[in-house]
Amino acid sequence: MDVILAQLATGFVAVFAPANLGALTVGLVLGLLVAVLPGLTLVMGVVLALPFTYTMDVTAAIILLTAMYVSGTYAGAWTSILFRVPGEPIDVPLLWDGYAMARQGHAAKALGWTLVAAGVGGLTAATVMVLLAHPVARIALTFSTPEYFAIIFFGLASVASLGGGSLANALISLFAGLLIATVGVDDTYGAHRFTFGVRILSDGIDYLVVMVGAFGLGEVFTRMEQRFKSAPLESASAVSTRLPSLREMGAIKGTFARGTFLGIVVGLVPGAGATVASFLSYGIEAQYGRRKEQMGSGLPEGIVAPQTAATSSVGGAMIPLITMGIPGSGATAIILGAFLLHGLQPGPQVFETSSHIVYAVFASIFVAVVGMCLIGYFAVRYLVRVLELPEVIVSAYVIMCCILGAFAARNNITDVWLVVLFGVVGYLCERFRFPIAPLVLGVILGPLAETNFMTTMISFNNDWTIFFTRPISGTIMALAVGSLVYPVFRYLRRRARLAAT
Amino acid sequence: MVLARLIPYALVGLFAGYLYHTATQFEFHRRGSTLGPDFWPKLLLGLVIAICLYEIARIVLFRGRRGEASGVLQEMVEESEAKHGGGYVHVEARSPWVLVAGIALTAFYVWVILRLGFFLATLLYVFAFIALGGYRRWVVNGAVSLVGTLAMMFFFMKVVYVSLPIGEEPFAQLTFWLMRVMGIR
Repeated sequence: MDVILAQLATGFVAVFAPANLGALTVGLVLGLLVAVLPGLTLVMGVVLALPFTYTMDVTAAIILLTAMYVSGTYAGAWTSILFRVPGEPIDVPLLWDGYAMARQGHAAKALGWTLVAAGVGGLTAATVMVLLAHPVARIALTFSTPEYFAIIFFGLASVASLGGGSLANALISLFAGLLIATVGVDDTYGAHRFTFGVRILSDGIDYLVVMVGAFGLGEVFTRMEQRFKSAPLESASAVSTRLPSLREMGAIKGTFARGTFLGIVVGLVPGAGATVASFLSYGIEAQYGRRKEQMGSGLPEGIVAPQTAATSSVGGAMIPLITMGIPGSGATAIILGAFLLHGLQPGPQVFETSSHIVYAVFASIFVAVVGMCLIGYFAVRYLVRVLELPEVIVSAYVIMCCILGAFAARNNITDVWLVVLFGVVGYLCERFRFPIAPLVLGVILGPLAETNFMTTMISFNNDWTIFFTRPISGTIMALAVGSLVYPVFRYLRRRARLAAT
Repeated sequence: MVLARLIPYALVGLFAGYLYHTATQFEFHRRGSTLGPDFWPKLLLGLVIAICLYEIARIVLFRGRRGEASGVLQEMVEESEAKHGGGYVHVEARSPWVLVAGIALTAFYVWVILRLGFFLATLLYVFAFIALGGYRRWVVNGAVSLVGTLAMMFFFMKVVYVSLPIGEEPFAQLTFWLMRVMGIR
């Protein structure tokens, strides 16, 4: 414990180095802006920021992206509450009580509740993250390839089963992502796979190109087809924040605890993210909360439950990322990409090889939560004004960033063509309701999944039952299969219920 | 309606079938009984084809009368929206020609950037894109395009040290002049 605290203290010192503190501040502001602007999602924002971190020091780069991730789970609440426009899918549950509270003339109080909820959820989850990371990494050190494959399989299965849209489409997206990852020269046999005689494809398709294209350009193309029509803004009274009193907070301490706990647990599940946490937490409060009948009428519980869960999911999602190299959400998938771009492979060994970076990132989450709350308190009235920017102008520069980001990675125009191609693929995915997150996660985790699968097959004489017969991998595989079967089970149960009525 | 729902799965299934065939043609020397580099892609493609066939059968046999298993989040959103009301604007009107023009414009920009250089190509692209998006305040559009492009050029070339395309002659002269003005070497 002492060692952890000492390393965390060193991490705080590193965070307050001017370069890292600057990166953190920029990340916080960008995250807040991205979350406020409709048409720009948190994941898209982190993708767009990634190329700007190429030349940065690895610690500053990860701090910037993590700060964006933290603050991006918070600021969308402002537009939900003030204008009934959720900045992010995460913020949809905040409409029901947050906007209702604002309509009753308590907008400042509603903003105060979100600020406190984000602060409490974020700081608690960060503490849990620091406490759990080391023990989880120690356990992960005992893992062999079957266990790693099982964890990756669980992550991929849960991103398909927990996300939005049809399960079949999510699985097709996922397999497409895994297939894209196979393009290039195979490491073991040197065989050319799906290169079609094109030289640049021999090096494989960079996941960055897929991420930037599908998340960034794809979204802009989708919005362009809709001619950038956003919801009309409702007028808000003077924007300010009024914090709830300690007594008011104490009255709903159970909601704070439930929301934070749920957020951490959902964040821990590879593949699930802040959106699932936010909806799940609101749903549980509406079903089991003390004032469940009044939910939706402007209760603080309806604001605190989704906001604590959304922000605390960040701490949860960082645990599998740092300790096993497995992203727990879309944003952590990109942060993993940033680690890899800087030549650092997250995993249990990272605590031995680069603990100073890990603890600087951990410390930065604490500082980011506090900074986010301060900026939120003092600057909300200025930051929400970005909503007045015409979306088409923002979108033009989003495309610019996508193209420059792809070009800057290898100074190769072919990468830019691939970004445009994956932009069209991203648009088609949106149009025909194939979710993009499984595709991107498939591209990122594909090489890891294949390597662990093939190594296991070689080591255990092609005996695929090994994944199910070893205790840890068997348990995780069972969870993965369960997560895939669960949506089918829910669907069959709903159909039976409908038939009965 | 049924056909429109079938087409994506049919196309994906056919493309997966083609890729499966390609995977059978990979050239490598098999080592004993170990799995080759074709195993993993074939496994994935087999699964894609199976899902597409299942979806096609489901659509043809039940003609969409039955629903489909969806992700847990989707169900939570639907249940909550039914109870509390939705938060999104569901835009029904689509402008496919604007989209096609936007994609074509972007592709043209990528093609022309090596010839005109970053500054000129980007300035024209941003201006055209904003106009295509329906923004009609020309002076604001021009100013935003110019200032934004210059800022991007400065940031990437001066701060991040990315070597952006300078273009071919005579357009390269303009890039060199701007680089001199900005103090970029």
